[in-house]
Amino acid sequence: MTAETYSSKAVDRSRLHNRLRAMVTQENLITIVVALIVAGAVLVPLMVLFVSSFKVLDPSGWDTTWGFGNYVTMFTDRIIPKAFVNTLIISSGSTILATLLGVSLAWINARTNCPGRSYLEPYNLIPFFLSPFVGAIAWHNLGEPQTGLLNNLARAVFGIEGAIINIDNIWGVIWVTGIFFAPLVYLFVVGSLRRMDPSLEDSARTTGAGLIRTTMTVTLPLVMPGILSGAIIVFVTSAGEFGVPFKLSAPYGWETLTTQIFSKAVGDDANHYMGAAMSMALGVITVFLIWVQQRYIAPRSFTTVTGKGFRPNVLDLGPWRWVAFGYNIFFILVAVVLPIVCLIIVSLHPVWTGKIVVADMTTINYVKTLMWWHPEAISAATNGIGNSLILAFGGASISMVLALVISYMIHRTKGFGVRMLDFLSMVPIGFPGIVLAMGVLVTYIQTPIYATLWILMLAYITRFFPYGQRNISSIMLAISEELDQSSRMAGASWFTTLRRITIPLLKPGLFAGWILLFIIFLRELSISIILFTTGTETLSVGVYYLTNFENEPLTSALSMAQTVMLLIAIYAFRRLAGREALTA
Amino acid sequence: MSTNNNVMVSIDHLHKSYGLEKAVKDFNIEIEQGEFVTLLGPSGCGKTTTLRCVAGLERPEAGEIRIGDTTVVAPEKEIFLYPEHRNIGMVFQSYAVWPHMTVFDNVAYGLRVRRASSNEIKSKTMKTLELVGLDHLADRFATKLSGGQRQRVALARAICYQPEVILFDEPLSNLDAKLREQMRDEIVRLQKEVGITSIFVTHDQSEALVMSDRVVVMDKAVIQQVGDPQEIYANPVNSFVANFIGVTSLLEGKLDARDGEVCSVDVSMGQGVEPLRLRAVGAAGAKPGDKINVSLRPEDVTLHLERPQGTDHGNLIEGNVIDTIYLGSFLEGRVRVGPHEIGIQIDHFENLVADQTVYLSFQPEHGLCLAN
Repeated sequence: MTAETYSSKAVDRSRLHNRLRAMVTQENLITIVVALIVAGAVLVPLMVLFVSSFKVLDPSGWDTTWGFGNYVTMFTDRIIPKAFVNTLIISSGSTILATLLGVSLAWINARTNCPGRSYLEPYNLIPFFLSPFVGAIAWHNLGEPQTGLLNNLARAVFGIEGAIINIDNIWGVIWVTGIFFAPLVYLFVVGSLRRMDPSLEDSARTTGAGLIRTTMTVTLPLVMPGILSGAIIVFVTSAGEFGVPFKLSAPYGWETLTTQIFSKAVGDDANHYMGAAMSMALGVITVFLIWVQQRYIAPRSFTTVTGKGFRPNVLDLGPWRWVAFGYNIFFILVAVVLPIVCLIIVSLHPVWTGKIVVADMTTINYVKTLMWWHPEAISAATNGIGNSLILAFGGASISMVLALVISYMIHRTKGFGVRMLDFLSMVPIGFPGIVLAMGVLVTYIQTPIYATLWILMLAYITRFFPYGQRNISSIMLAISEELDQSSRMAGASWFTTLRRITIPLLKPGLFAGWILLFIIFLRELSISIILFTTGTETLSVGVYYLTNFENEPLTSALSMAQTVMLLIAIYAFRRLAGREALTA
Repeated sequence: MSTNNNVMVSIDHLHKSYGLEKAVKDFNIEIEQGEFVTLLGPSGCGKTTTLRCVAGLERPEAGEIRIGDTTVVAPEKEIFLYPEHRNIGMVFQSYAVWPHMTVFDNVAYGLRVRRASSNEIKSKTMKTLELVGLDHLADRFATKLSGGQRQRVALARAICYQPEVILFDEPLSNLDAKLREQMRDEIVRLQKEVGITSIFVTHDQSEALVMSDRVVVMDKAVIQQVGDPQEIYANPVNSFVANFIGVTSLLEGKLDARDGEVCSVDVSMGQGVEPLRLRAVGAAGAKPGDKINVSLRPEDVTLHLERPQGTDHGNLIEGNVIDTIYLGSFLEGRVRVGPHEIGIQIDHFENLVADQTVYLSFQPEHGLCLAN
């Protein structure tokens, strides 16, 4: 009896031992190491941000005490409560505008016989890749009451007094943010619109519902999860957007949370602890919304795709298709063509007075902002191109390697800590760049990496590697694990399988993800604006510098240079990733 | 144009093409009130296109379709009614049950669109759901249903508002074999019960034979034959129909001579020492020397292990067994006769081995001569 008990205990013990042994595998060790690195990069700045927000700077600015003072100030301050309200108005307005534009354009391109829709689609998506900050600068030059190109044009053509539009207010911010984020909603709904089983709509028609009723009761409800997801992402992105309100509304009395955080991070009344508290407030809102989207809305998507009996089925709009065509062209005009044309025109003038003077045209602005060897070069601008290229190449490459490793762990190993890794690579998506940058700033301000490009690189990667990771993960989910397993069965090692099978299969996704990150880094503003110092200006910081301390023509010249670089990258993206890469 | 008041759907000289490719060529039919008509053919034969023209989901180039007293499409007269104005019901291959609505809402959709009163919506919808046996699942979301249940929802949705015609676009092809038979019988029962005119598209000949009052066999955009199931099976007008409906062996040959109904056909195709002549019926217009296919159903062929005595066997041919396939309740065999293969059905267990010499016999009236 005792012997039996003893032996069964021994068996238990050796079982436990075996299980422990089984847990210490290469896979698990690598997963844990990577998880710790990611956790350090993601969680430490957020925790330091959280802690810092409870430090209250005394009026003399020398000492701090612990307390909730910063949070109290948020409600009692003269400006911050208004900034809160403005942020709310801007985000709501932009979300409504972007959703209306995005859904209608996606519907036109995917479900109707609008002429030339497949040629128009790439141009509909261009604003997604360009810088909204530059868009705001361009629209400022189009819609400023005195010097705005459109207002001058209206005065010249119609002989009216005053201005037809004034972009420099909260509505201007909503307008620019809305048109620039419309492609985001577009991308969320176009896939399901395009792949929707046409008989779902056909059966509404044969059951007796007309075109409009079918669209309202069947088509739109079926893509509603996509619409809501897109709308939430736009709301969150607008709330975290710094450049547009900085250019169009803050100088005219409409501060937002982001412009207020910026002024607490740098400048004369800098108060990092106050900035941390405001960042926390913004971050809590955005994290909550993203959590709702991920937890409740994304999983609700309807599976409406059928493999069988599929035929492209578009609605015949009759003569209305020309209205749809005109609408589509109008969007491209206001979101892409007008801003770029305006930048070109303004950048060719020595000073901008709102009138095109062909005789005065010059390239001096490009010389000053691009040619670093030139004596008149403005270093804040010329530094930017080099720094941004380094950050974009380096950041995109490191992010994609990290993303590949993490995706592989999540989808191909049953390692310990995989769920933690999955969660960690979701977290940065919930925080606006400016919030994360505040965290990085307060965390690393006394370390040697502060005031180097490394701190920018670290913040870029932390904030944006999840985009690359999701890119790879979606492909990894689509590629059957059996392809890997077959290679192992055929006698290849784990590493050979990775090199010969997995990575080649992922190659298109790796390229697409790399270029996407390259584009994001090339135009990045809200992280850079918090973390740059003299010498580590980026392209967008250069634009910021010029618009703040120099004149509009110089600003337009550098903006144009950035736009051209982005357009080249977009072209490369489409060539490498194929036209379905984004919309599939 | 018919003056028959009982005609519910009439299709006259319908033409439809996609680009240069003709999808439907000169399609004509009149379907009576309450009739169940099946369009049968291989994929790409134009059957679904025809149905979608009736539904208003495709626009034909020429012809006229009338439902009841209304002309729903006539390109020459510039008439085109949208699907929602045609008072039809349609059941799709993919079920197309709306996943964002409950079963009740799916079925009630047509009544709501027609602005029925809420009492009427409730009673009619529940009655229809009872009819298809889904009344207990009315509040369930469509995503929580099995394939067969979804198909019932689609069916209920299409009949709930009592349309004049119901159109079925291969509704059973996504179901597994057992369920398919069950749903097939149920659709027939419902159709008879409700008495609704039905047009059913399928590529499955057994479905067509079991369900229909009349079958329209189509191939290459053209109607090959219209008739009731027995007629189509027993008297196919050409080799395509014979081959497509049921199992048949087609023996290529030449018409030798004709004696009233009975033809003598040489099927030796220049092989063998002496001509192999079969006596069969049909091919009314053919002249001696014309190419003829003799169509032979396996169940009409009698197998003999020894050369039978007597002369009452009609045609008697000698052949060698190629192989046999065990199909559960019976065996299917293939026998080589000269250049041909003849399929046979053996309903009791015969111990046949490959290359064994056997004798086949069939009556002349079971061999059908088909001109090409």
